[in-house]
Amino acid sequence: MPNSRHTGSSILVPRRTLLKGGAALALGSTLGMPFINRLAAQESHPLAGKSIEMNILGIAGWVPSSLGVKMSPLFADYVKEKYGYDVSFQFQEAPFADLFQKAATSLVTRSQEFNIIISDSQWLGALAKPGWILQLNDVIDKNPALNIDWYSKTVVDTYMTYPDGSGDIWGLPQEGDVEALFVRKDWLEDEKEREAFKAKYNAEMPRTFEDFENLTMDEFEKVADFFTRPDEQRWGFAQQYSRVYDFATCAFNNFLWSRGGELWNPETGQVEGVLNTPENAKSLEEYKRWLKYGPPGSTNIGIAEGIDVFTQGKVFSTIQWAAIGPAMITEELKGKVLVVPPPKHTGPSGEAKRIYSMGGQPWVINAFNDEEKMRVAIDFMNWWYQPETALEFARRGGNPCDKATLSRDDFNDINPWNQTYKFMLEDGRSQDFWHDPKYSEMLSIQQEGYSSFVTGQSTDAQAVMDYIACAQQQILYDSGTATEAPSDRCAMTSL
Amino acid sequence: MLVLVLLAPVLSFFIVFNTIPTLWLLGLSFYNYSLTSGMPPEFVGFRNFFAILASKNAIWFDLSRTFTFVLCGVTLQTILGGLLGFLFWGSKNMPGRRIALTMLFAPMVLTPVATGTFFRFIYDPTFGILNYIARAGFGAGSIDFLGDPNLAFWAVLAVDCWMWTPFMTLMTLAALGSVPTAELEAAEIDRVPMWRRLPLVIWHHGKFILMLGILLRTIDSFKTLDLIIPMTKGGPGQNTRLVALELNKQAFESFNMGWSSAYAVLLLLISIAMTSVFIFVLNLRRRRESGS
Repeated sequence: MPNSRHTGSSILVPRRTLLKGGAALALGSTLGMPFINRLAAQESHPLAGKSIEMNILGIAGWVPSSLGVKMSPLFADYVKEKYGYDVSFQFQEAPFADLFQKAATSLVTRSQEFNIIISDSQWLGALAKPGWILQLNDVIDKNPALNIDWYSKTVVDTYMTYPDGSGDIWGLPQEGDVEALFVRKDWLEDEKEREAFKAKYNAEMPRTFEDFENLTMDEFEKVADFFTRPDEQRWGFAQQYSRVYDFATCAFNNFLWSRGGELWNPETGQVEGVLNTPENAKSLEEYKRWLKYGPPGSTNIGIAEGIDVFTQGKVFSTIQWAAIGPAMITEELKGKVLVVPPPKHTGPSGEAKRIYSMGGQPWVINAFNDEEKMRVAIDFMNWWYQPETALEFARRGGNPCDKATLSRDDFNDINPWNQTYKFMLEDGRSQDFWHDPKYSEMLSIQQEGYSSFVTGQSTDAQAVMDYIACAQQQILYDSGTATEAPSDRCAMTSL
Repeated sequence: MLVLVLLAPVLSFFIVFNTIPTLWLLGLSFYNYSLTSGMPPEFVGFRNFFAILASKNAIWFDLSRTFTFVLCGVTLQTILGGLLGFLFWGSKNMPGRRIALTMLFAPMVLTPVATGTFFRFIYDPTFGILNYIARAGFGAGSIDFLGDPNLAFWAVLAVDCWMWTPFMTLMTLAALGSVPTAELEAAEIDRVPMWRRLPLVIWHHGKFILMLGILLRTIDSFKTLDLIIPMTKGGPGQNTRLVALELNKQAFESFNMGWSSAYAVLLLLISIAMTSVFIFVLNLRRRRESGS
């Protein structure tokens, strides 16, 4: 029996066959649609079938920066699958103190030696003003996946915007970072130590996140003092005092801001009279006073030295960037370290508050990239902020900044520092310093001044602050950022 | 004509890589030009030079520190290098002399950045071997060599001497090698005592090579930068900030190209002045002889 019969010129198809055919077509379409879509996407992508080589400049010895590098093969797989082009990455790196120099000397020649750069947040102005990096407002408008709900306004202010508050976007967060207090949990939980502490101070030692959340520097000082035992080659507390890069500045800013001080007036560019107040000079003295709880040579402690003294069991606690949690919590220290919010400071007003330095780095895109490399760079950004990429980044030890990832129920459990990272990333607890193109010169003056004071080369904190304020005022006045020249009394200042 | 043709390769090399950059540097020193400002260069005449000379924080303190570094460093290296040179000169049959000399010259061929980095660890007050020895061997407290304003400068200078004393040893050996054997033998036959032989025979013939060594070390020491950066970055405070470090900071950290070019021109003039003094002193005796 034939399955079809002719009625005049038409072909009659049995209903069952029709239904079978329809079902097969529907199934085929459903199963085949992603493939067809992918083919369509690949065909529509201008780089489909091409092979592109990209260069990323990152920070040497910096875990989150290396994660950006290590995860790039995932991006290569992603674009091969989705857009049908091949991409490979070359990486160059330089230490923090030299990275800007490496980037700037290349960008000034309009080179596309580095297509994507992991910049430090303070460099945004210096990279944006000469037009070396791509302004991202239009890119974000055209790529809705980059229009992300960030965890806090601090993220936008720190990693993305120049000039401050302008809405001009130049960077996207590669790694969020805040200051955290790393403490030896095993020392804290030693019952003999707890009893000895109680006997000495008639108080309990803090032991939980919540205890530290409410801790002031005055209270914390007792703990630091308790664990400072030079005869046992152990000390209570380490923080950064090094003259290199921004190490002393970031550590001192914690004291300055938390005690109610300011670095400058960002609207007028005024430094003199803002930085060199007697209160800020007292903050500098306070910053130096904490040296007594640190190991010998604390004036040279930077990031690496801070890791060394902590991981080798020389200090009970240290203020360190959350980003280097993987380096701070070594295999030997797993389960023995608590990462908690750093203590509040009590300023002249009597109010205890906590405003610590922001760390972290944004991605910036070379403005001189050719069309193909620019396209890959934007694809890379689109991929980097996908939820699964952000989660993978967090699982490998990175700190994403988007609200969706940070609001996951399991986020706090991914890394030991995540709870503190989120806590400190909330608005008002951390802030960044100037994004001015002259930041490097301003920073250099500060580093010299603070280093001079903490090492004893200069003994008058007020004179040091006057010197820094006057020199910075001159720099900003010369560059046109400040409206007022340094006052006449600046002629008398020196280190 | 042939002379010009033969000289052409070296002359073109000299012009491309020396004369043009120097003229460029000179020209840039009259401009206000910052790479990060996004503004075009602005001609300011001698303003950069006046600003440097009038700055209370710039050139004078750094120059005085640098001259101290050069004077102390080169003097110590010359004395120690000279003594070691005499030691090896007088022990030509010593077993293992070649190995000893190779080991002696090793610091000189190391990169200063590597030297600075490992000396930073040697000096470290918590983990450093020097402090370990001081603590374990002598019961001394920790010494913060690079963080103490009274010690840092001398700690860096000591490393510079460790690195470059072998160079002066080498120059001393070369100077001693230039002394004619016949004159030395004649002095020995005449039983001229060593303290008389030194100025009359040895110094007379060897001084040019030795002075050349001192000149090279002086110029090189004046430019010290790569040792300072890994060790102290100019700190504590400004204690080890030498002129080359300040120049590097202004040019390649702050990107003030006009200001740093003016600074470089001033340093170039100082270097030329120092070299001229050396050459004048070297030629003094010859001039006296030709004059008489």
